[in-house]
Amino acid sequence: MSDASTTPTSTAANTAANTAVKSGGAAAATLIRLSQVGKTYYRGKEAVEVLKNLDLEMPDGAFEALMGPSGSGKSTLLNLIAGLDNVTSGSIQISGVDLSRMSEGERAKWRSQNVGFIFQTYNLMPVLTAAENVELPLLLTSLPSAERKKRALTALRVVGLEERASHRPDQLSGGQQQRVAIARAIVTDPKIIVADEPTGDLDRASADQILELLVKLNKELGKTIVMVTHDPAAAERASIVRRLDKGQLT
Amino acid sequence: MIPVSYNVRSLFVRKATTIATALGIALVVFVLAASQMLSRGVKKTLGSAGSPINGFVMRKGADTEMSSGIETPMVNLIMAAPGVKKDANGNAMGVGEIVMVLALEKLGGTAGQVSNVQLRGVPDNELSFRKEAHLIDGRPAHPGTDEVIIGKRLRGKFKGLELGQTFEVKKNRMASVVGIFEAQGSSHESEIWCDIDLVRTAFGRAGMVSSVTVALQSEGQFDAFKSAMEHDKQLGLQAFRENVYYEKQSEGTAKLVSFLGGAIVFFFSIGAIIGAMITMYAAVSHRKKEVGTLRALGFSRITILSSFLLEAFVLALIGGTFGAVASLGMSLVHFSMMNMASWSEITFSFDPAPDILVRAILIGGLMGIAGGLLPAIRASRTSPVEAMRE
Repeated sequence: MSDASTTPTSTAANTAANTAVKSGGAAAATLIRLSQVGKTYYRGKEAVEVLKNLDLEMPDGAFEALMGPSGSGKSTLLNLIAGLDNVTSGSIQISGVDLSRMSEGERAKWRSQNVGFIFQTYNLMPVLTAAENVELPLLLTSLPSAERKKRALTALRVVGLEERASHRPDQLSGGQQQRVAIARAIVTDPKIIVADEPTGDLDRASADQILELLVKLNKELGKTIVMVTHDPAAAERASIVRRLDKGQLT
Repeated sequence: MIPVSYNVRSLFVRKATTIATALGIALVVFVLAASQMLSRGVKKTLGSAGSPINGFVMRKGADTEMSSGIETPMVNLIMAAPGVKKDANGNAMGVGEIVMVLALEKLGGTAGQVSNVQLRGVPDNELSFRKEAHLIDGRPAHPGTDEVIIGKRLRGKFKGLELGQTFEVKKNRMASVVGIFEAQGSSHESEIWCDIDLVRTAFGRAGMVSSVTVALQSEGQFDAFKSAMEHDKQLGLQAFRENVYYEKQSEGTAKLVSFLGGAIVFFFSIGAIIGAMITMYAAVSHRKKEVGTLRALGFSRITILSSFLLEAFVLALIGGTFGAVASLGMSLVHFSMMNMASWSEITFSFDPAPDILVRAILIGGLMGIAGGLLPAIRASRTSPVEAMRE
């Protein structure tokens, strides 16, 4: 446990010190800004401080990898950026919108419009076909059924699985399931894609295909990708790699 | 909205528990529909024995024909009352009848088991007066003899009650069955009709009838007829519309059937609701990660709640529909039970009706919702973050 009264470093200094920028180019506008973010969980009466006074800025259009040992707070940070969880202290602003002031319902609506999710174990609905899984996020929009189906097929085409649209997850390989999950993540055209260990359950070849796809989404479609990974090969594909340890950027 | 196909297909992933739960609900709906069908059958059987255009007269204070006695001279007085219809010959249309109960040996059950059967002593013109009754086998009984005709629901159910057979009306007084009649499914079909003098002599009721039924010129004539019957207190008579009298006779039995059915349904439904609850809790637990994913994608708590409630409702509807369809088979079953008004056995049918089936299925659906509510609330409270850690 760290001392909660640790003096925070300035946002700019922290960001600069803890970021490994691998690609050059003109500085993009900040999309995600974390200010003095703290997150504490309670295990019974015991408080577990997972993130401590974290300052962080992520530029629009970045492909960021978050690395660190288990329990370092990577997934917690990802959940906060994705609006799945709320901060204990500090604030998170995305495109100028302060997530920390939102209610749970407001965050759910915000997520449906702004975030695409990719999970380690794909998290597809086993009883739905690939196309129906991809269509799921569109059910939260007012699009008519025909348009939803059209967009779902377009998303499957982007990931190269249009011909598998009517297959259920158990009829697809792990790599194919993850590509369906990616299609689901992009079908609403969100600003941000969060990926939690997207290659963690895949063999090397499938993992490489998924990473290629993420790079393509980042470079060609301009998606901002925040990826948690233990895999150095995956991190290599990211434009920015950040490391966390004991709830702080190192 | 989460697609219904997600819920329906999820139900069939766990076939065994889904089928077991659906069968539990099917059983409740079956019992509910069957008891309602029987209650309706009782009302129809007893209630359809009377016509609103007929006046029915008994001794004042009597609840049933069994406890009523009217002296024969008064029959003519009743027939002469205002509003009574006359035939082409100018004769008042009506019948005075005596009702008694016979204990006869049942067939097909425990050897020697006896049950009561209603014996109705009727005048010669009974079949021409009661147009709804007609012979389907044999011939009419000759007046002044010990011949009887029996309702078709008695046929073969009791010793001696079959065409050409005989039975004992009173010790050493045998009656022979010469005809079988039907009467549009009414309770008359569970009666023995014989010459009125046979009952009078066999049971020592000379000069008496139990009731008098008259045809009225129109339904509107009833009030005048009733007033004439009840105005003179010395006559000591009471008048009803015939259908109202028989409906009142059916009330006790119909209520008993409904109550017993309701009590069974109540206890069965508790079991079915608990079954649905266990199934849905298992579904929520099994699909925690799916629920977490849906929440992550932005589906609201209320959407998740509705989705699981819908799933429980669909599960219950499947079971309910199965139970309701199965209950239709009961319409082929005839059910004999004691009529609490006459203490004689009457054969009832289960009378299916669309409203009974729809109501039973909907009640089954509501049981699904009741059982699914708590699991659905648990599902809606699933934290996406915690679900992802599973």
